[in-house]
Amino acid sequence: MGFKARHSSSTAGNPVQKPNLGGGFNLRPGKNSLGNKYDWLLFMGPAMLLVAVFFITPVIIVFIISFTNMSSLTGFSNWSWIGFENWIKIFTHPQSGQHVEVTIIYVFFTLILFNVGLALVLAILTTHIPKAAGFAFRALWLVPRITPVVVYIMMWRYLMADSPYGIFNELIFRPLGFETSEMVAAYPYIAIILVNGFIGASFGMIIFTSAIESISKDIMNSSLVDGANILQRIKYIIIPQIKWPLMFVTTFQTLSLITSFEQIMLLTDGAYGTEVWSLWAYHKGLNNYFGQFQWGFGMALAGILVIISIVFCILYLKFFKFSDMIQEPKIETL
Amino acid sequence: MKRKSLIFLVLLLIVPLFLFAGGDQEKEAEGPKEVTITIWTKAGETELWRGLAAVEAAKELNKELESEGIVLTVEAVQETAGWGDFNKKFTMASEAGKGPDILCTGHENIAVYGSTGYIIPLADSVEEIKAMAPEFDDVIEGLWDMTSWRGQIWGIPQDTEARPMFFSKTKLNELGWSDAKIAALPDEIAKGNFTLDDMIETGKEAIAKGVVEPGYGYWSRPKSGGDFIQYYMAYGGQIYDAEQDKLVIVKDALLEWYKFQRRIVTEGVTPKNFLGTDWGIWHNTVSHNNALFFAGGVWHFAEWATQHVQDIGGMDYLFENFGYALQPTGIRGVAAQQMSHPLIYVVVAEDSSGNSNQDLAIRLLQKMTTKELNTNHAVGSGHLGILKSQAEYTPYKEDRLLSETLYMLDYAFFQPNHPYYPSYWSALWTNMEAVQNAALTPEEGVAAVLEVLEVEIGDALIIK
Repeated sequence: MGFKARHSSSTAGNPVQKPNLGGGFNLRPGKNSLGNKYDWLLFMGPAMLLVAVFFITPVIIVFIISFTNMSSLTGFSNWSWIGFENWIKIFTHPQSGQHVEVTIIYVFFTLILFNVGLALVLAILTTHIPKAAGFAFRALWLVPRITPVVVYIMMWRYLMADSPYGIFNELIFRPLGFETSEMVAAYPYIAIILVNGFIGASFGMIIFTSAIESISKDIMNSSLVDGANILQRIKYIIIPQIKWPLMFVTTFQTLSLITSFEQIMLLTDGAYGTEVWSLWAYHKGLNNYFGQFQWGFGMALAGILVIISIVFCILYLKFFKFSDMIQEPKIETL
Repeated sequence: MKRKSLIFLVLLLIVPLFLFAGGDQEKEAEGPKEVTITIWTKAGETELWRGLAAVEAAKELNKELESEGIVLTVEAVQETAGWGDFNKKFTMASEAGKGPDILCTGHENIAVYGSTGYIIPLADSVEEIKAMAPEFDDVIEGLWDMTSWRGQIWGIPQDTEARPMFFSKTKLNELGWSDAKIAALPDEIAKGNFTLDDMIETGKEAIAKGVVEPGYGYWSRPKSGGDFIQYYMAYGGQIYDAEQDKLVIVKDALLEWYKFQRRIVTEGVTPKNFLGTDWGIWHNTVSHNNALFFAGGVWHFAEWATQHVQDIGGMDYLFENFGYALQPTGIRGVAAQQMSHPLIYVVVAEDSSGNSNQDLAIRLLQKMTTKELNTNHAVGSGHLGILKSQAEYTPYKEDRLLSETLYMLDYAFFQPNHPYYPSYWSALWTNMEAVQNAALTPEEGVAAVLEVLEVEIGDALIIK
């Protein structure tokens, strides 16, 4: 009989005897056990403290500052409350629409094509070839992630620079007679998606590989016996079996992409219409050419990201039926 | 008994602390008072005299301070970061009361740092600052304007520069221009007889005749920078209305400027998607005589000579191949201009620096503002001098580049000391880039600028 650490009201009257943890905490609810009502605090307390200090508190500060006119002109001492002025400014700012548009394009295509799509393809491919080859291939895909980001971006810039400095242009396009150009500027969206995607794919690849390799051999072999081809195995066996990692990678990478901007900053610094929302917030609040900062407005922009991220979290949890996945195993309630 | 022992033990530990503390104070009173002044500058490899000048000046000042019982030490922190990061560091440090005593910064930051109280005014008028020291009286008159804000003087000029239009003499020769015609080009540009249109036409001709590669007729600065506003001014633009203390947009000038930025691409003298080109590529290309016209700064000569063409002749190679002129006008017959961007030393307030060294800092600045120290910086970095006496100072006069570009200060305009100028510039740059890359038409670009500035600046903008 398994051990169940999760409490719920339905377990309160469960007559099934659960084992004790050998003198540790009694997890069974009961009036004689040590503060059973608050047991969860002992387990969750440290994690909750970290979340409170490093997430909840900064978020509260972000929202508080967003209601002020704090900027380089006021310093941290001479600011005043301005109500919703910064939030109204976001909705009336003529550049807001463009930043939303580029953010959606960047997040959607990087996520679908690379962080989840390519990651899944790589995981499936490398688990269906000899183990050593699969390992080597995956190791190769980790190189972009372990390369220092400044070096990585510098490589891309010289790959995509105009002739005679750019490798693509000088060694491929020019000899073939194509017109050469600064490729980052010519194809800015493709550039930021590729640069981020090549890093992002490796994360999902590792998670999916591990999940695929954990699928019971019996199930996989059964599908072969039943005559399933590779596409059917992917559709009917692999995808359903790795639903949880899929949900995790999709959620995690969506939130990461919405708030990430460092590769874009180093590659284009927002030029050619590539200033995603988070980079806009960074430029307004923390870094720009003249070093004049609008902390209040920047925090309102960051506040939008927090709200969007929370909304996405809720949507994903609903869409992937998170609550179904963490339901107690039926065997426990027999 | 136990309690008495504990009290005795505590006294045994505490009493010597008081004794030693008293001893230190007595020691301090006996010897000279040691004061450290910290100066922060942003400096490239050739610009180290921005901070070294303070170290050298301290030696002179210490002679005076000896009788006052003070020994001054200077700690110069020279950063190579971009202006944004450098300014951010100063802002955060000032808020924490850990800023430097002296900051070397762009003059346009006076309004921002003055508003927050990070820096202190040095005098209430130009006359007052000039009367404070003979060194300050020697500063070129026009430069004080750039240190003024709300009627007070907030800084001491450190350097200034010219932003010329460089041209390849050898490429013009190949194009059929005589030496005399090439030699007369700077004067023709200054008078407004050779315009931006002429530059485009000459670039097209050079490309057509194979003198330069397509797209190499004219190279502007490759990344964001106030330099581009020279072309707004070239078409009759106005940045600032001093009387109303407001920023200004002249719509027609803005439109003509944006049309020019688009034309250089459509006419083929500048590569498609040029903006954003890596600085390393830009320096390498122009310094190796691959472009016909290219806009830069006088200080670039020093950089190219020491970091790019040092193996093929250095400064001699540059003088042999390149000439320099003002930025051509966009309106024929109207005198040319160029933008200077003086750096200044400002004195940081007590709350921001955490020190009360302001008087000493001003005395140190006096000693730094000498023709000897400033010429070290000017000659080493290719920046123009700030003192009247430098024009006749032999080491300065003997520097060919500095002496031949000094006249450009007579045609200089400056960016305004207005707190909203960064937002103003950001809107102009973002949309200029979009127009040059054909993401917007010039007309759409102008409309976008006005829309953004209405939200960002509002009443602080005059539209003409």
